[in-house]
Amino acid sequence: MSLYLKYLSMHLKSELQYKMSFILSFISQFFTFFGYYFTILCLFNKFSNIKGFTVYEVLLTFSIVTFGCSFCEVFFRGMDQFDKLIVEGNFDRLLLRPRNIILQVFGEEINYVKLSRVLQSLVILVIALLNLNVEWNIYKVLTLLLMMLGSITLFLSLFTIAATYCFITVKGLEIRHVLTDGGKHLAQYPIGIFRKGFVLVLTYIVPFGFVNYYPLLYILGRVEKKVYIFSPITTILYLIVSLLLFYKGVKKYSSVGS
Amino acid sequence: MKSYLSYFNLKFKTGLQYRAAAYAGIATQLFFGIIYTSVYIAFYESNASNYPMELNKLISFLWLNQAFFSLMYLWHKDKDILAIIKNGNIAYELCRPQDLYLMWASKILGERLSMVTLRFLPVLIFALLLPFPYKLILKTSIPFFLLSIIALVLSTFLSTFLILLCHIICMFTLDEKGIVNIFMVTADILSGLVIPIPFFPSFLQKISNILPFRYVSDFPFRLYVGDINIREGIIGIIIQLIWIIILVIIGRILSKRALRKAVIQGG
Repeated sequence: MSLYLKYLSMHLKSELQYKMSFILSFISQFFTFFGYYFTILCLFNKFSNIKGFTVYEVLLTFSIVTFGCSFCEVFFRGMDQFDKLIVEGNFDRLLLRPRNIILQVFGEEINYVKLSRVLQSLVILVIALLNLNVEWNIYKVLTLLLMMLGSITLFLSLFTIAATYCFITVKGLEIRHVLTDGGKHLAQYPIGIFRKGFVLVLTYIVPFGFVNYYPLLYILGRVEKKVYIFSPITTILYLIVSLLLFYKGVKKYSSVGS
Repeated sequence: MKSYLSYFNLKFKTGLQYRAAAYAGIATQLFFGIIYTSVYIAFYESNASNYPMELNKLISFLWLNQAFFSLMYLWHKDKDILAIIKNGNIAYELCRPQDLYLMWASKILGERLSMVTLRFLPVLIFALLLPFPYKLILKTSIPFFLLSIIALVLSTFLSTFLILLCHIICMFTLDEKGIVNIFMVTADILSGLVIPIPFFPSFLQKISNILPFRYVSDFPFRLYVGDINIREGIIGIIIQLIWIIILVIIGRILSKRALRKAVIQGG
């Protein structure tokens, strides 16, 4: 852990060397993000609901997903950019060091600029929460926290799976964006609005549903069962599986040479 | 003129070699097409009236957007051009007895046309084979068809010159992030690729009618599906022409100015 903190401070220092560029990128990130937000607002300007979900309910779903994704893009960026490590042959260098390999991959790159997205998704989360008509109690607060944590775990697992894929293909294919970006796009709406096929995929194959749909139903009081509170925990299983796959990939790894 | 054609040819032919990238692109486009159509269908199913666009027209419009996406999107950064601006190799380009502006324009055009050539047909075929509410309907009448073809050709040039303008701005900022990013995102949203223009609030619709971005993808495809009538179509084509002229003039002036005080980076 202290090693990771060291990585964090190191990257922060190097990033702040270029202050103007950092600030401008920070602002432009805001604009990109605004695009997504704008889409949802526009659509709800014309329509009152989507399959019974109101604008703030959708914004809550949306903010949970973007929070998890941008959090991972800041702190686990190295995993997201894993193909670079392999292609350039730098992965061999990491393997030689007597430290945990996953931690080192995380530490390869930390993208502070994307912190602006984490902040924005939190702002939207707060806006959504303030406007939602929910009677809060300890269970519901717990559900919300688990949703946020689950979202981080889920995206970390997706990044890890995409990275493991690089062991086979060497070059990370664009296809992986379908998994992360595409999933993000789909899951920014409550998945219940889609047809059965989508719901099954988003529940059992890429479990976005466990993070921001089933617990959401509990928060909104549409289901009473307490099981729904703990559904985000299933993402831990997903993470364990993906890490095991990653380690398996490391064992089989043969360098590209340089 | 011949030399610019050969730049175009070169880029076009190299572009056709990237098959794997094209497969990935097709998969992405199909995936996003399905997402977008599903979201809109869900919206239309749960609200009774007040649609800004008829559902089948909207769906066809979304699919056409996806099929020609690589020709229409404005978030395009030409790695080669940016690299020569940053590493100082622009000096070599200036040694050539050719016009920088036209040379870059033909390169960008070539690359984008090669991308769309590989991608549009599979997406169209896939979209035609889908079951009913998701399906692309290509049926249109002859005048709409002809007008939208003209509009599509013009919008190809329009998008090229817009993107070229961004790259020329990079000659001043020496950075493709920051301001250029903000410009590109705004352009992307106002072009109607993120959501169709009829869904915008009315004041934004008015703004986007004046700006060039809407005429890149929104205009030709909405014309095709018949969401814009013939009269507006002809006016739109005139606006496209005017914007092309304006963009070329601005681009040329800026590029001249940038070159006058060009500092060659690196040594």
